[in-house]
Amino acid sequence: MQASVVSLRPGFALRWLVPLGWAALLALAVFGMQYADGFFRWIAPDARQVIYSRASFLDLLGRHLLVVGVAGAVTIVVGVLAGIGVTRRYGRDFLPLAGQLASIGQTFPPVAVLALAVPVLGFGTLPIIVALMLYGLLPILRNTLAGLQGVDAGTKEAALAMGMTQRQILWRVELPLAAPVILAGIRTSITINIATAALGATVGASNLGDPIISGIVNSNMAYVLQGALLIALLALTVDSLFDLFQQALAKRSAA
Amino acid sequence: MIELSRVSKRFGDTTAVDDISLSIPSGKFCALVGTSGCGKSTMLRMINRLIPHSDGQITLDGEPIESFNPVKLRRRIGYVIQSTGLFPHWSVARNIGLVPRLLKWPTEKVNARVEELMGIFGLPVDEFAHKYPHQLSGGQAQRVGVARALAADPDILLMDEPFGALDPLTREKLQDELLRLQAKLHKTVVFVTHDMDEALKLADHLVVMRDGRIVQQGSPLALLQHPEDAFVESMLGGLERGLKQAALTRVKDHMTSLGSAIPAHSRIPGDFTLRQGLSMMMRDHCDRLTVVDASDVPIGELSLRRLIKEAQTERGVHRAG
Repeated sequence: MQASVVSLRPGFALRWLVPLGWAALLALAVFGMQYADGFFRWIAPDARQVIYSRASFLDLLGRHLLVVGVAGAVTIVVGVLAGIGVTRRYGRDFLPLAGQLASIGQTFPPVAVLALAVPVLGFGTLPIIVALMLYGLLPILRNTLAGLQGVDAGTKEAALAMGMTQRQILWRVELPLAAPVILAGIRTSITINIATAALGATVGASNLGDPIISGIVNSNMAYVLQGALLIALLALTVDSLFDLFQQALAKRSAA
Repeated sequence: MIELSRVSKRFGDTTAVDDISLSIPSGKFCALVGTSGCGKSTMLRMINRLIPHSDGQITLDGEPIESFNPVKLRRRIGYVIQSTGLFPHWSVARNIGLVPRLLKWPTEKVNARVEELMGIFGLPVDEFAHKYPHQLSGGQAQRVGVARALAADPDILLMDEPFGALDPLTREKLQDELLRLQAKLHKTVVFVTHDMDEALKLADHLVVMRDGRIVQQGSPLALLQHPEDAFVESMLGGLERGLKQAALTRVKDHMTSLGSAIPAHSRIPGDFTLRQGLSMMMRDHCDRLTVVDASDVPIGELSLRRLIKEAQTERGVHRAG
């Protein structure tokens, strides 16, 4: 309730409250989980142990962020560059192909990518990064294309007629105008991948998915809940940060 | 001086511009008029090399346009389009200063130029410099568009139906401003429009186009007096032609000196057009008007009977010649 009131009021300091609030809850969960012994005992009364302890939650969070971060960085670079490339004159022939490839990447379930990647890349962090990259590429590429193609033709023609070079038109006109849409794609991609990264636990990439997988295997609902709670809080923190960026960007271009 | 010599443009199988020759002397205002799809915009866009021409030669001051770097060429030519093409994410001041910045003018010089232009176009700096295009009215946005085109003081100004999307009152006001500006700046203007009244009002030289060809060209008065064929005549308004012609001359050029007769009741300033004078006669049910100067002092008389006699003599002279 408090959060929704704050996000409606566009005061600058107040708007930071939302992501900071989620981040604080995330920190509380990471460091305070071990003290909630009583609660989790109530969730899983028969379990031998109710707090996941094979690795610290902080470690798991760090590795989770690393996987999502590396995959996200690569996806952003590849997706945005590909989107720019196929909307230029020299790359226009590849426009339909790029769209199709990215769609295939997303229709292919990450689990299947993992299964196919493990024999090639071995167990560990690499297969999950590859799976996240394929899965996260579509929203970024699609939104980059939509954003660049959505720039008014009259604006682009005027830019050319005023004597801007193609590079100046891209950097000073097209990308700034497409930025809100591109950022929305990045937000979708990263948020989805924070959840999807949990699958990495099945191929030995230790992260916040570990307690969930371990909990399922050992029928320990307390572990499952701990992993799910941390992933949800992480996703909400990151998503609300993106919301903040988007608002700032929208304000700048529409002010 | 812009010269097109036997210029054609083909898109696939269609010929948009067909073997056109046209010469626009420096400092002249040339209007290209025609129905949609007659190739007038295509001609404009070939001059600043937005599209390449297929055949013939286009020269600026004797130099073929291919000899210029297209980017540098465009920075020397102002360009205004109907949709304004203002950058929505840039403030008014930043939009206007675009070309000077591309030309790497020092910042103070750019700022001074932007302020000067905003003054010329009646956009107070305090109020408008930091506004964004979506906060402007159509007329204000188009003023910014014209100011941006003039920012680096180009010799040539290309205008593609710049006032086509504005309401009639705003359009008329901007036309007047453009006329006043042109009287001072003497740019070489190529102005595309489908509005014949606009073309008649603004142009020194009128080019009527149809299906990619020039049907007739000449001064507005010459075209009104001797339209080449039925198409030009209908473009010029058919039966309205007489009034359109009257709109091109001033009352004071047709007045006679104040006679001994009783002064006419209705008064008209000498700077008004003859068309306005005729309209006033219709309104006030009279065939004579007293012509006055700026301080409302009578300086002459406009008489319908004299006007008709004058026109008859002119015609007679033409027939004899």
